[in-house]
Amino acid sequence: MAPPPGPHIQSAIPSDTETPFPKLVRSSTLPASLPTSSRSSSLHHRSSSHLSPEDAYAPTSPPRRATPYANSAAGNGPSADDRRRIRHNDGSRSRSRRRKRFQKLLWVKQSYPDNYTDQATFLENLQRNPRVRPYDFWPLVADTTVIVQHVCSVIIFIVCFVGIFQERVSPVAVVGWSSFATFVGWLIWDYWVTQELQSLPPDHEARTLIGREYPPPPAPPPSLRRQDSTGPGRPSIATSIVTSTSNLPSAASSTTNLLQDQNASLQASQPQNNGENSTTTGSNGNGNGSSNNGENGNGSGNTLLVPGHPHSRSVSSLNSISSQASTTPNPANPPTPNVTTPPPSSRMYARISTIKSAILIYFTLLGLSPILKSLTRSTSSDSIWAMSFWLLALNIFFFDYSGTSWVGRGTGSSSSATAAAVAITSSSHAPGPGPGMKKKKMPVASLSTNAALMASTVLASRLPSTGQVFSLTLFSIEVFGLFPVFRQLARHRSWRYHVLLTVALVCGAGAGVGIILGDPARPCEAVGVSGELGVS
Amino acid sequence: MTPRSRPTYNIAMVSDFFFPQPGGVESHIYQLSTKLRDRGHKVIIITHAYEGRTGVRYLTNGIKVYHVPFLVVYRSASFPTVFSFFPIFRNIVLREKIDIVHGHASLSSLCHEAILHARTMGLRTVYTDHSLFGFADAASIFANKLLKFSLSDVDHVICVSHTCKENTVLRASLDPLMVSVIPNAVVAENFRPLEDSEVQNGMFKGHPAPVRPPGPDDMITIVVISRLFYNKGTDLLTAAIPRILENHPNTRFIIAGDGPKAIDLEQMIEQNVLQDRVEMLGPIRHEEVRDVMVRGHIYLHPSLTEAFGTVIVEAASCGLYVVCTQVGGIPEVLPSHMTVFAKPEEDDLVEATGRAIAAIRANKVRTELFHEQVKSMYSWTNVATRTERVYDGISGAISEEEFYGYEAVDGWSATRGRSGVQSFALIDRLKRYYGCGIWAGKLFCLCVIVDYLIFLFLELWFPRDQIDICPDWPRKEPKERGKDAD
Repeated sequence: MAPPPGPHIQSAIPSDTETPFPKLVRSSTLPASLPTSSRSSSLHHRSSSHLSPEDAYAPTSPPRRATPYANSAAGNGPSADDRRRIRHNDGSRSRSRRRKRFQKLLWVKQSYPDNYTDQATFLENLQRNPRVRPYDFWPLVADTTVIVQHVCSVIIFIVCFVGIFQERVSPVAVVGWSSFATFVGWLIWDYWVTQELQSLPPDHEARTLIGREYPPPPAPPPSLRRQDSTGPGRPSIATSIVTSTSNLPSAASSTTNLLQDQNASLQASQPQNNGENSTTTGSNGNGNGSSNNGENGNGSGNTLLVPGHPHSRSVSSLNSISSQASTTPNPANPPTPNVTTPPPSSRMYARISTIKSAILIYFTLLGLSPILKSLTRSTSSDSIWAMSFWLLALNIFFFDYSGTSWVGRGTGSSSSATAAAVAITSSSHAPGPGPGMKKKKMPVASLSTNAALMASTVLASRLPSTGQVFSLTLFSIEVFGLFPVFRQLARHRSWRYHVLLTVALVCGAGAGVGIILGDPARPCEAVGVSGELGVS
Repeated sequence: MTPRSRPTYNIAMVSDFFFPQPGGVESHIYQLSTKLRDRGHKVIIITHAYEGRTGVRYLTNGIKVYHVPFLVVYRSASFPTVFSFFPIFRNIVLREKIDIVHGHASLSSLCHEAILHARTMGLRTVYTDHSLFGFADAASIFANKLLKFSLSDVDHVICVSHTCKENTVLRASLDPLMVSVIPNAVVAENFRPLEDSEVQNGMFKGHPAPVRPPGPDDMITIVVISRLFYNKGTDLLTAAIPRILENHPNTRFIIAGDGPKAIDLEQMIEQNVLQDRVEMLGPIRHEEVRDVMVRGHIYLHPSLTEAFGTVIVEAASCGLYVVCTQVGGIPEVLPSHMTVFAKPEEDDLVEATGRAIAAIRANKVRTELFHEQVKSMYSWTNVATRTERVYDGISGAISEEEFYGYEAVDGWSATRGRSGVQSFALIDRLKRYYGCGIWAGKLFCLCVIVDYLIFLFLELWFPRDQIDICPDWPRKEPKERGKDAD
């Protein structure tokens, strides 16, 4: 769109005012009726005047540009001569006069009429579908595997429920096998994480830990959320402030001011954090906390940054969610040893804490099962089926399929660790619609998990015995809370694992549905239930 | 060219946007009307009622303004009812003996309705497009469909820049020959550069007068005057200002205008502690624009989309060096020695502003000549002359071959019929509307038929001979065509 630089301004402005408007030739403007002087090009032209699919994503593709018009615009093509001949009426005058080329400029007074349409420049900058991205079939299929995996795991959950409900599957078997699988999965997961951490430089370790250890959070209760947003997230705010402000050496005094302000606010928020730490651990003195602060403010934050184990995190929050859903007072104080001062072997500590919280959640659920069983008993079965259908649909639609919480967070510099950090950096650096981007991380992921657990809770009330309720709820936590974490890391880890997992899940889900539907023992009920639920 | 007496027309300008509301379209309509009056035409303006402006008003130069009572929905655009405007419109048109209806602004539903009804009544119609629109999002697609409806049966379209013409041709599927490019203009007298007498008279109350030409250590002031909306590039500005100020000591910003993005700018100032280097004036009136502009050396225009960009012409006329994004019609507007172009992205904008500051400091830019140059480039009289040629062409005063070119005479054109001007026959009009789309075409045809029935009903109910003809304001002596380009 760059105009030709106007070196002849002085000459262009005053002249040409009284020249009559020359005749405009329709053929010169409408490509369709162009006298095709060169036969060979006519076919090419016809094909290019219509849109073809390739035009959609050719980067800058006005197809006309390569056609003979461009040549004729230079004034020496044969078609230009043709045009001159058509303009026969006072053609002698206009031909004798050396005409300036039409320029797409408004400040030049040109000897062309206002509705003149220059075929060489008209629409020359047209870009058709500049942002369109053509999709290939197989990559698209590969991308759908994430959704397929999740749908399959939901189906497996439903199948297990139907199996338990019809008393064809022993609930102990279900929960036993799934717990065993979860344990094996955790071992693999732990191995992978350890491996990844060792492969990273120590500087990155902290950040990846932040990212890695906090999977799409299943909506921790406020106390927990505050803790983890202040605990591990805080150092990254500090670093981001440092980077964003240190880019502004001109206003040196102001930046130091700003830095001090931010540090002050940082410190104002830290003691609270440390207070929690000390209450939970009991061994952590105040002095220790403040020394932590000092390290923290330095921005390296390497030691403080080892939070708890993700299993413990998600499990504990899941626990409190399920207890919230059951509207009982939270009996198990969420296990919060995760933000304490890290021992030297932080991985080992994390493992122990995970096991601890797993045991805790096990017994909590065991205690809660009678309550869960009778919670929605009075609701009629139809409502339960409909409700669980919608809740599971909600789970599928709002599930966080992106998986970027693993990859993006780990490698990204200071972005998206916390919303605050993003806000600070984007307002000072990112151009354009930057502030809108920070809403990308929406709370729908937790909505999805919550919906699934709610579904399992309401479904559990259809089961007759406490043991069945317990196994179903535990199974749902494993399927909806922990399994996605494993799936995401498997996908991040290796494409082969991902495909294998997908195939296994599809086979498992298919087999399960087949078994449920194919059983002639109680056809009506089986079809009734699974037909209702299997849709989702 | 020929010494025949020049025809004069009765023209009705229709738009939702007119004074007292400020804006580019509004002043365009007013200036064009004034100059057309000067050329002996009769001009009335039809707009909707504003607060405190109802009924009929006369403006300077005998321009009559009808403020039609209409419901205003959004940003002073009236509620789109396809037919309800017809009775009063017909009354006004008959009363004023209008020949040509000239609608302005694509977001004005009043304008589109007027074009439809005018064609039903057998009047010539012209439409002026002032803005660019996208093609991709749902709102644009809908708006473009409506524009296509309205412009299927318009006689001629005027666009303010070549880019705008391309945009409109694509959006409304028009024949490019029936789209003219007539730029906006500025009243150069209202945008004079700063004079020494003004400095001595103390026009700058408390503000230091800009040093011209600035030395290497003098303060360079960058002016931004724009409504602070997303499409005006305020986000770009917010991101660029700290970096520009950081790279260039002894520079400062003056930002005038208001809008939803003002809060972002203020946050940026707070965060970077730039209160002493960025001055935000808030909303200013159009008369004050010049007084703000002359306080600076450089005008920064970060807009993301712009059909013409009158404000950069005004800035250049005030003797400011213009830094602008290379979007829309902006590259066509000013010669390259008055402007520094940037891509609409932060880095390039910062870099281009840096170049401009360097050029001003090195005294390479002769800004004191800008005013005279701009004055010779853009004048409303010129705009009126060129608009008049459009009127001549659509009403047949100049022959079709002269107006459109030769081939249009030989071949039958779907848009123009055999007579060279668009036929008023209902069946021809329906043919034009039918091509608008599979469903839309039929719907539009239905609308046109209903409109025609309403017209017949109105003819019966309010016969023409019972409508008073209003006496004309004394017309000015029509100037001879072609002798007026000053």
